[in-house]
Amino acid sequence: MAKAHKVIGVEPLESYRENARVILPQRLEEVYTWEPFIRDETRREELHNMRISIKRLRYTMEIFRVAYQDGSQQTAVNIYTEFLAMIVDLQEILGDIHDADVVLAVLADYVSQLGNGERQIAVLPGIVRLIARTEMTRSVDYETFLEKWDQFSAAGFKQKLLSLFSATCELKTRYS
Amino acid sequence: MIRGDSQKLDGKMVTEPEVKGMLPDETLEACARQIIVNYFHEMMSYKEGAKEGVDIEFVHEMRVTSRRLRAAMDNFADCFPKKPFKKYYKMVRAITRTMGAVRDLDVLIAHFRNELTSLTEVEQTDIRGLIEHLQREHKEARQPMLMLFEELEEADFETEFLEFFVGEDF
Repeated sequence: MAKAHKVIGVEPLESYRENARVILPQRLEEVYTWEPFIRDETRREELHNMRISIKRLRYTMEIFRVAYQDGSQQTAVNIYTEFLAMIVDLQEILGDIHDADVVLAVLADYVSQLGNGERQIAVLPGIVRLIARTEMTRSVDYETFLEKWDQFSAAGFKQKLLSLFSATCELKTRYS
Repeated sequence: MIRGDSQKLDGKMVTEPEVKGMLPDETLEACARQIIVNYFHEMMSYKEGAKEGVDIEFVHEMRVTSRRLRAAMDNFADCFPKKPFKKYYKMVRAITRTMGAVRDLDVLIAHFRNELTSLTEVEQTDIRGLIEHLQREHKEARQPMLMLFEELEEADFETEFLEFFVGEDF
């Protein structure tokens, strides 16, 4: 599993709000470092790493939610919540893909532990059935993920999110 | 589907821990301390249940909260002296990892049990064998987790961690 990218430019003695603007875009960029790999469904590791980065972004957004909860800016709060829901959505579908990969690995490992490899699997109809079912589920989930990703991208997901992240400073300037 | 580290199992959602009284115009360092301490308390509150091993949700909750705690620590590393921070970070990572091994098996066992209903008698025999195999692995996977808990208790990790992150007033 890929480590979290080191965030730069953090100022411990500056406000929480100001630092939200520094940290959140870097967590979003971390997600996009995995984008070049998503068109290849065999890049299991990279898809898994993208899921972990998305989860990190989600947790970071939850941590900084308070920086966007300016009472006079209900719209910004709602948009923030909507984006969080989209991120959870991506995390879930990538999670389903990863689950399928884990199940397939466990089934393969179990067969190899029983010995005889391919010859053994022929006499394990339950295992054969679950492998086929899981492969099919994974394939459907992968297509769903790509559709979702493309749909979000076409709607300007990244740019809108970056604008939202920078909005916290505007809020402070305008309302402090 | 099955997810070892997800937010849901049987429809239950793990909600984000609420950090009360945090003001966004306070310094990052002050807020970081509040968040880390809050998440840490939340994580440790599941320890006894995880040790008991009766309800698998305790392991799940503890693991998810440890991940949230790590995400917070990743973001706030620059607020703290490097060397001790690294020590505490590694400990939290060890908690996530040992819990992960147990949780993954919990959900795999649950997943294959669910699959049983859709299989024929003959097919079920294979999967029952697999479930038994995973149950043995699960028993083994609990040992490093229990040993880690013991180590943490012996080293008074909880007090040390809180002394470091709460700061002077602890």
